[in-house]
Amino acid sequence: MAATTVLPRPKAYDDTFFRPISIWLTTTDHKLIGIMYMVTGILSFLLAGIFALVIRLQLSQPNLSVVDAETYNQLISAHGVTMIFFFVTIFLTGIANYMVPIMIGARDMAFPRVNLLGFWLVPVSIILYYSGFFTGGALNAGWTGYAPLTEKAYQSHSLGVDFWALSLIVWAISGIMASTNFLTTIVALRAPGMKLTRLPLFVWAQISTSILLLVVGAPLAAAMILVEFDRQLGTQFFTTQGRPVLYQHLFWFFGHPEVYIMILPGFGMISEIVPVFARKPIFGYMTMVAALFGIVFLSMTVWAHHMFTVGMNTYVEGFFMIMTMLIAVPTGIKFFNWIATTWWGSVEFTVPMKFAWGFLATFLIGGITGVYLASVPVDTQLHQSYYVVAHLHYVLFGGSVFTIFAGLYYWFPKITGRMLSRKLGEWNFWTLFVGFNGTFLIMHTLGLEGMPRRIATYANPSWGTTNMIITVSSFLIAFSVLLFLINVVRSWYGGEIAGNDPWQGNTLEWATTSPPPPYNFERVPPIHSFMPLRDLREAGEVAAATAEPAKV
Amino acid sequence: MAARARALFGLSAAAFLLSSCDGLGGISPIFPTPVSPNGEGIYALYVGISIPAIIIFIGVEVALLWVVLRYRRSRQPAGYVPPQIHGHTGLEVAWTVAPLVVVLVIAYFSFVELQRDFQPISNHQMLVVIRGHQFGWDYDYGNGVVVHQEGTLAGDVTPFVVPVNTVVKLQFQGTDVIHSWWVPAISGKTDAVPGYDNFSWLKINQVGSWRGECAELCGVGHGTMQIIVQAMSQSDYDQWVQKQLATQKASPSPSPSASPG
Repeated sequence: MAATTVLPRPKAYDDTFFRPISIWLTTTDHKLIGIMYMVTGILSFLLAGIFALVIRLQLSQPNLSVVDAETYNQLISAHGVTMIFFFVTIFLTGIANYMVPIMIGARDMAFPRVNLLGFWLVPVSIILYYSGFFTGGALNAGWTGYAPLTEKAYQSHSLGVDFWALSLIVWAISGIMASTNFLTTIVALRAPGMKLTRLPLFVWAQISTSILLLVVGAPLAAAMILVEFDRQLGTQFFTTQGRPVLYQHLFWFFGHPEVYIMILPGFGMISEIVPVFARKPIFGYMTMVAALFGIVFLSMTVWAHHMFTVGMNTYVEGFFMIMTMLIAVPTGIKFFNWIATTWWGSVEFTVPMKFAWGFLATFLIGGITGVYLASVPVDTQLHQSYYVVAHLHYVLFGGSVFTIFAGLYYWFPKITGRMLSRKLGEWNFWTLFVGFNGTFLIMHTLGLEGMPRRIATYANPSWGTTNMIITVSSFLIAFSVLLFLINVVRSWYGGEIAGNDPWQGNTLEWATTSPPPPYNFERVPPIHSFMPLRDLREAGEVAAATAEPAKV
Repeated sequence: MAARARALFGLSAAAFLLSSCDGLGGISPIFPTPVSPNGEGIYALYVGISIPAIIIFIGVEVALLWVVLRYRRSRQPAGYVPPQIHGHTGLEVAWTVAPLVVVLVIAYFSFVELQRDFQPISNHQMLVVIRGHQFGWDYDYGNGVVVHQEGTLAGDVTPFVVPVNTVVKLQFQGTDVIHSWWVPAISGKTDAVPGYDNFSWLKINQVGSWRGECAELCGVGHGTMQIIVQAMSQSDYDQWVQKQLATQKASPSPSPSASPG
């Protein structure tokens, strides 16, 4: 384990990665498609991160003009759209594409060609969105693109909004394809013995995510089609003469479940990582699954909590408030179960485990501020302020990004056959943890003091110092991401050879080689519980030591 | 308002902790001191939610630290095999029910405040129609006085003037895109949406000026849509109205600054 010299690569590595580009373009192997999804996601993350740095420079002091207001509005929109649609969702689709078939003992996804088509729609969607920059300006109304600001009357100079709408229609179709494929794969292609009650929790999380995207992808596409009708065919759905609030209903019926599409796979990854590094089975498997579906149901009944200032009936607002607060219950169950899993455990605080703990420590804050925001009267103060910006980053960065890093450090050895450097990983984690909290914790207070989000600059001098601290911290995040990239590149070429099962995992992906062969398994191992690999390992060890294997 | 005073008194310990930091520029953990009863209601609710929130936050963070420090492999005896526990029905029920009770209590108090301060009122002594436009606010008092608060970052905008201790009903209208009127010291924000009227109210309890901004992205001038609300004594206010009527009669062209739209 201590060897730092470059060891020869496993043969599967060459089989997987050193292929002609034509094979990468046309492959239907879920693993290669998964890698392409993940690479696309990471590139989007870097691009949107650069936008964020420009935004932070602009806001670092009062009355700056690093960029003008129009450019600023395009940057915040591109940052949001790219992070949400092209990074988090896409990356998570990629890691699920890679892992789900292996974890259930399948050879590939149910519809490999649909998988390939679904992936290639993503670059199409990205190119469509960025085309806006070459037509007089991209979307400049925030990632939510509220009508009537997106209508032609206020956007006559550019086609940015049109390209955004078309991009999201393509994105929604791609997401619906991927979701259908995941559900079919998990229902139809499980290996013998892989009962539903033995599915890894990451696979359960992918089931719930896919159900959500399947339900809400179409309303998003519908909203975008109506925006296009308004802009190009002269209809009056959301115009100043129409009903602008209808757009908000349609958008948030997609938009709020999208938050869970971005976090449930993360919950799944944490549910895989914590038991492995605590050496205990997950606490409350069935309540974990039930909590996932509780979140799926509740997340589709809360969308109007984004609209508490538009002037709805107070009883309607009360309904959405209670449903929103109820989401704290299944989320709380998951938290307590993760803590209970670790209790009495034998905890190895590896880099994936650190990121898992970084997620728990920060996502908790996002969850608690979510309850403040759910309370209608309090929300009328906090809505559209920097408090919300802080909250949503605690959920999406503290939540999704930390879980993505946890998953990457956990599965990188399986995907490439090599370990990521632990030392660089520790640096990566601590700089990210400090940088993240330095950036977003004091953002709450700016919102409480009255700083609205999405303003290109501000006159209030007493906000200057806080904003400067935030900007400096945001560059620490950038430094941390740079460390991560260095770690990936160095480890991919010269990292320690991982072997099949470097972490002593519980699930099937650790039974095959790293990276797995194109068909995944020579022979699918027998499955008798939701931890088939641990059963095998224990049976082997115990059989060697004693005559009677101790079953758990 | 006795019940509200009692509620505030009951929460005074937490309120003291939070409000002792009030006024710190840029790092205040709570809203500015409210000057209108609806703002006071929100403030009290925020303090009330903070009590379970802070307890849960500290409790869970301590538990998270405890498990990874106490149960580290290096602290366990060599060859330690953890007990293979798959769950505990009683515990799982407990941590389902406990958060449920907490959020239902928070929801109850929130709903009470919602019904009390967020209904369109009819006991107002004055009505002002506020129209949002790109990029500024018009305040129509209905008696011939109209204040044009055109957005700028170069200096202070024209204040929206109200008399103290007077219930003023605010009727919001959007004339182009959606705007949102927000003065944190008074109350929460209310959207000005094209196509229908939206309502809020204020009753400012002291003479002074308070700042706010438009809170809904409305175009390139969004950040310039500053708000200043100035509360005057009734006699000063009456004088101000007379002066406005005189000047507005003298120059019927309403807008004092050039509007880009």
